[in-house]
Amino acid sequence: MASRSPVVTGLGIVAAPGHGVEAVWTALAGGAGGLKPLGLFPSPRHGPVPVGEIQEDLNDPALHLRGSRSDRLAWLAVRQAIASASLSLSDHRDRAGMLLGSSVGGSYDSERFLEILLKRRCMRALPTRYHECNSAVSLIAANLGLLGPCMTIATACSSGALALATAAEMIQSGEADIMLAGGADSLSRMTWGGFHALLLVDAEGCRPFDAQRNGMSLGEGGAVLVLEAEETARARGANILARLGGWGASCDAHHATAPHREGRGALAAMRSALARAGLEPGAMDYLNAHGTGTRDNDLAEARALRSLFGERVPPFSSTKHFFGHALAASGALEAVICIEALRRQLLPPNLGFTSMDPAIGLEPVTAMRSASLTHVMSNSFGFGGNNAVLIFSHPDAAVAPREAPHMPVAVRGVGVIGPGTRGLKEIEPPLPAGEVASVDCGPLAGAGELTMNQRRRLSRLMQMVVLAARRSVTADATGGDPRLAVAIGTGMGCLGDAGIFLENLIEKEEREPMPSRFPASVHNAPAAQLAIDRGAQGLNAAPTTADISFECALWLAMRQLVTGEADQALAGAVDELNKYLLSIGQRWGFWNETTQPGEGAVVAALGRVSEKDAPCLARVSAVRLGRFERPFDAAREARWMASATDLGEGGVLYTGAGGWPELDPCYAAVADMLGRKSGSSWEHRTYKSMCGEYHSASSFGFAQAVECVRAERRRAMLYTLSPRGFKALCCLQP
Amino acid sequence: MVISTRELKANIIATLRMEEIEPDQIDDEAPLFGEGLGLDSIDALELVAMLEKDYAIIVKDMEEGRPAFQSVRTLAEFIERKKAS
Repeated sequence: MASRSPVVTGLGIVAAPGHGVEAVWTALAGGAGGLKPLGLFPSPRHGPVPVGEIQEDLNDPALHLRGSRSDRLAWLAVRQAIASASLSLSDHRDRAGMLLGSSVGGSYDSERFLEILLKRRCMRALPTRYHECNSAVSLIAANLGLLGPCMTIATACSSGALALATAAEMIQSGEADIMLAGGADSLSRMTWGGFHALLLVDAEGCRPFDAQRNGMSLGEGGAVLVLEAEETARARGANILARLGGWGASCDAHHATAPHREGRGALAAMRSALARAGLEPGAMDYLNAHGTGTRDNDLAEARALRSLFGERVPPFSSTKHFFGHALAASGALEAVICIEALRRQLLPPNLGFTSMDPAIGLEPVTAMRSASLTHVMSNSFGFGGNNAVLIFSHPDAAVAPREAPHMPVAVRGVGVIGPGTRGLKEIEPPLPAGEVASVDCGPLAGAGELTMNQRRRLSRLMQMVVLAARRSVTADATGGDPRLAVAIGTGMGCLGDAGIFLENLIEKEEREPMPSRFPASVHNAPAAQLAIDRGAQGLNAAPTTADISFECALWLAMRQLVTGEADQALAGAVDELNKYLLSIGQRWGFWNETTQPGEGAVVAALGRVSEKDAPCLARVSAVRLGRFERPFDAAREARWMASATDLGEGGVLYTGAGGWPELDPCYAAVADMLGRKSGSSWEHRTYKSMCGEYHSASSFGFAQAVECVRAERRRAMLYTLSPRGFKALCCLQP
Repeated sequence: MVISTRELKANIIATLRMEEIEPDQIDDEAPLFGEGLGLDSIDALELVAMLEKDYAIIVKDMEEGRPAFQSVRTLAEFIERKKAS
């Protein structure tokens, strides 16, 4: 048995049907779903349609929670998970990290800011403090003192499952011994208005796989698993609840919201998860379906199940009527259901189902019943055709995920949409009027290369990524590639589109919705549109981890190449300036007198070094992620770097100095320490004076570092710190 | 009430941000979706929003809207029928 196999040792769950594993399971066994009429905020147009809303007052000071509503849900789940794993994190903090899925982050709280702004014309910036999707990981990892890899993944409804898959990958690859992983999302006007605009909400409550199904029901919640390397769990005598032995991801590369009719991507992700676990389809004893209750999703998923399992589709159910669709939390909530099903040897029921749909021809489990369960599968699919599948197994089952050692990857090309003009950007009313000097990309050169449908439907941010990617690959690398993975990081994502959508929703009291703005507002929209443009059907990920969003994307893409899940990968990052960011950013001190707001998109085309004839500008030998603490310890950072690469040869150190003033002394101390520790010369270079200050600016630094390696034949390191405590290191060599 | 198809086409162009196309370039009978103008399901939802904004017609279910969105002519007829009832 492979000792680095990921195992589950703790569970935490908070959702509408109950708090804690026992309460949730008891409700499920009793067939008591969590759907109740919406009470969290008024809906002038749609009224109190049923949702999975948490009734407890999350603002109760006795809960000792801070952050947004989503952050509070994450915290409740994390506390339960740590307690149930009997885990003393202080013994493991160097090797423990955190990885959550989030789709809306602090949107529910930020909406109050926008409402006050629009109705009373005054700025109350406080509720936006926790807007970013990485807020929960940032707050909780700091509270727990974790120093291992931290990341937030925002791939809409598959975020939670992809977060668990990525955490498993981190354990398997030796990046961490322990990961707190899962997802959290609160209800928000954004998603409420968005799914209504898409006419995807069933006003009577969702009925997954039922003949009369007519849409989804929204929900909210948080679920977190303690994942450990088996050797770590055994060494500390932990109780192993289940194994996470298989995970797979794919992209339909088909449409912004609609699934591929035959469930092409769903099938690919299920096959990928089975291959990783070394299992055949026939070994699956239960399947927790994505099963949202929309007409198209359930039909496409059923077709994918038929394609994979033939006439032997295992017992399956959707728990979306039970929880409501809690978006980024869903994959994690359903992982808890799968693990409890294994532990109790019981099949969970598909609430809301009464009559079989002849077009589907499959009947889910309708009442809880006993079964012999060894391996179970959980499906999660999201906007952008973004699919993630997990396989959980009984602790005694012989399952060992395929191993893949670290190896360098080749940078084949880098595409940059960078600062064109040093222009002045005006903040438009109703946000406080004023001019901010900025380093922006100006009008996008090359937009003429896009099709009319891309020009009219893709926001500027998405166009930036598509154009950067087209500049990263050589002409012979054509689209339509099932073995091409995409990972595009972003700090603020499509904040501009989200803001416009919400302003319209609030001002017009939900009348005249903007259906195309909603799918354009999710953080993974740029990655999804890039996948459609290139026909990329491999992993499609959108990490959003503040200043290290690019490095997270690079890490994800590298692992896809190393594990053989993909043959080529596009890794990049994008952020744009818009009126919301400019006004809020000024309040939060994102910029000061010496720095200017910037924006840009960078995409790197990556391949395996072993392919001899392919171009190689530079080799990426390692990407490391982690957290740092204050007081800042430069010697510790130098040791961390030495564990990733040989510092003895010297080279060039690229840092984000010249951005956040408080980080400049840290960068300088590390540059100084490197020279002293390694006994060789490390030249310190910076890049923010060229690209401006923005969340994913380190992607611009990466482009500079690659060019340095190519032109000067020297080693280079890209070292990035975030005011939120995240850090990343990327090592490059000729 | 008779709907001007030229005005309807102008509304469609504005709604779907297809400024590169002139109203006269859209054939009354040509399919809007698939091979015709190449519109997709999200464009259909934008047209649903347009019906509400410009014609005060509320479509609650795409099953209801689908037959109306075949072409400019079917859409004009749908609006006339809804306005008459």
